[in-house]
Amino acid sequence: MTPKGYINDMGAVRLEQTSDVFLGKGVKKIIVNFSDVQFINTIGISIFTGIVQKIQEHESLLCFTNMKKIHLDVFEMVGLIKYVKVFKDEEAALTFLKGRS
Amino acid sequence: MESLVDLGQEVSSAKELAEKMKAALYVMTGIFSVPTAALFIYHPQRKSLELVTEKGHRDKAKKEMKLSVPSAGIKRFRMNEPHPILDMSKTTFYRQNHAVFMRLQTRIFIPLFAKGEFVGAIALGKKLGGAPYHPEEKDVLRVIAHQMAITLHNTRLFLELAKKASENKRLYTSMQRIYHDTIQAFAAAIDAKDDYTKDHSYRVASYAVAIARELGWKKNDVEGLYVAGLLHDIGKIIIDHDIINKGEKLTTPEIYEIKRHPQISYDILSKVKFPWKNIDHFVRHHHERIDGKGYPDALMSTELSDGVKILSLADAFDAMTTDRPYRGKMTLSTAVQEVMKCSGTQFDAKMTNTFFNILRRELNGEVKEKQILPHLRNVDITDFNTLDPATVYGGASMDSLPGKTEYVLTWQTETEKAPRTL
Repeated sequence: MTPKGYINDMGAVRLEQTSDVFLGKGVKKIIVNFSDVQFINTIGISIFTGIVQKIQEHESLLCFTNMKKIHLDVFEMVGLIKYVKVFKDEEAALTFLKGRS
Repeated sequence: MESLVDLGQEVSSAKELAEKMKAALYVMTGIFSVPTAALFIYHPQRKSLELVTEKGHRDKAKKEMKLSVPSAGIKRFRMNEPHPILDMSKTTFYRQNHAVFMRLQTRIFIPLFAKGEFVGAIALGKKLGGAPYHPEEKDVLRVIAHQMAITLHNTRLFLELAKKASENKRLYTSMQRIYHDTIQAFAAAIDAKDDYTKDHSYRVASYAVAIARELGWKKNDVEGLYVAGLLHDIGKIIIDHDIINKGEKLTTPEIYEIKRHPQISYDILSKVKFPWKNIDHFVRHHHERIDGKGYPDALMSTELSDGVKILSLADAFDAMTTDRPYRGKMTLSTAVQEVMKCSGTQFDAKMTNTFFNILRRELNGEVKEKQILPHLRNVDITDFNTLDPATVYGGASMDSLPGKTEYVLTWQTETEKAPRTL
């Protein structure tokens, strides 16, 4: 998934809906590329909390890539970071995921 | 936090409330990394907490998210205090709603109070990873909950007021309809007194409305004139039926008797508090003339209001175009010539010109909604286009009137499908 701009309002709920669709189809590995994300607030965190919860329920894997330091700090602060794998870029994430399959 | 600030703004619908509360709920769950939460509003009549919005629950579970609240249950809650669900396990409230709490995966239950009133509740699920809620986190929850409680309270008041306002509006419309129906019934009773003037009041009211609208009167004033038109002859109710329907020439005492009806109409209607102005004034003077030779007060043009002048013309025109005990109805052209003959003496020229301008446009088919012609179905109008327009419009004023001068008479009767051209 490649969200863009601000993840700061209820419009961003579609991120959670998209991940629901993937998980519903049996997808076990999801990569979220943050390169185009400018801002995340508590609503955004709440949405990712929901995604993480469902990833766990489906025994799947969630990877974050291309994160700016501010995003990383936010996810660390709220404790979400320990439930995801963080990579420098998509290529690194894909290499990791290929190694696991 | 913007979403929390946003809670302070006015919420004007249940849908808007749900949207704002959902955003606030997401803020709350975002702060504490809680995947599931639900917000309820309290319905005192149903003694239940009903779902406003939620986060993270499957669709199936949402329908069943309703908590019953015994009165004793509310008393146990402290204002906006987050209660760990385990602490509530021995309460009747918890036992009654055990299944729902399980489905909600509730760990913290926060009753919402605003101005001492129980308004709703928040149910928060377990935090991601299952860590407990710390005391300082509960303080933050309490602050957010307080803000949400105020919004719920204010919105509920607003929605109740809006509902009452809507109900009042409905009642007002219903009363207005009853009022109009009553007035119509009075008008029918008045007209029933006179064998020859069935629907006279209704036609006079309609003609008067047409002129007033053409002159740009305000809606409420037009409505008042309409009512005055319907009731202008109410005084005839106490005039002897034989005098009203007498076919021969009236004697002097009989003329005196029949001329009492505007005064009697005034006496009756001046005691009624109408929502419109000048009804009694209009009915009292509907037989006045602008040359001061009318009755009951022989007022001159400058002393007569436009409403009186309109009503006087509408009344006389309908008298001319309907059968009377003492003569048959006139053709349209005869009536128009008669009115024009009296324009400037009996009738105000502004009113006659306005009236005939509307009539001309209707005859030429220039207007969709005809206001005069439908009432002239039983009147011979075929000779109207033989009239010299200068006669109709008084010469000089003709130039200022827009439209054609050739009259093609087209209108539809209720039973005819195709327009009739005369």
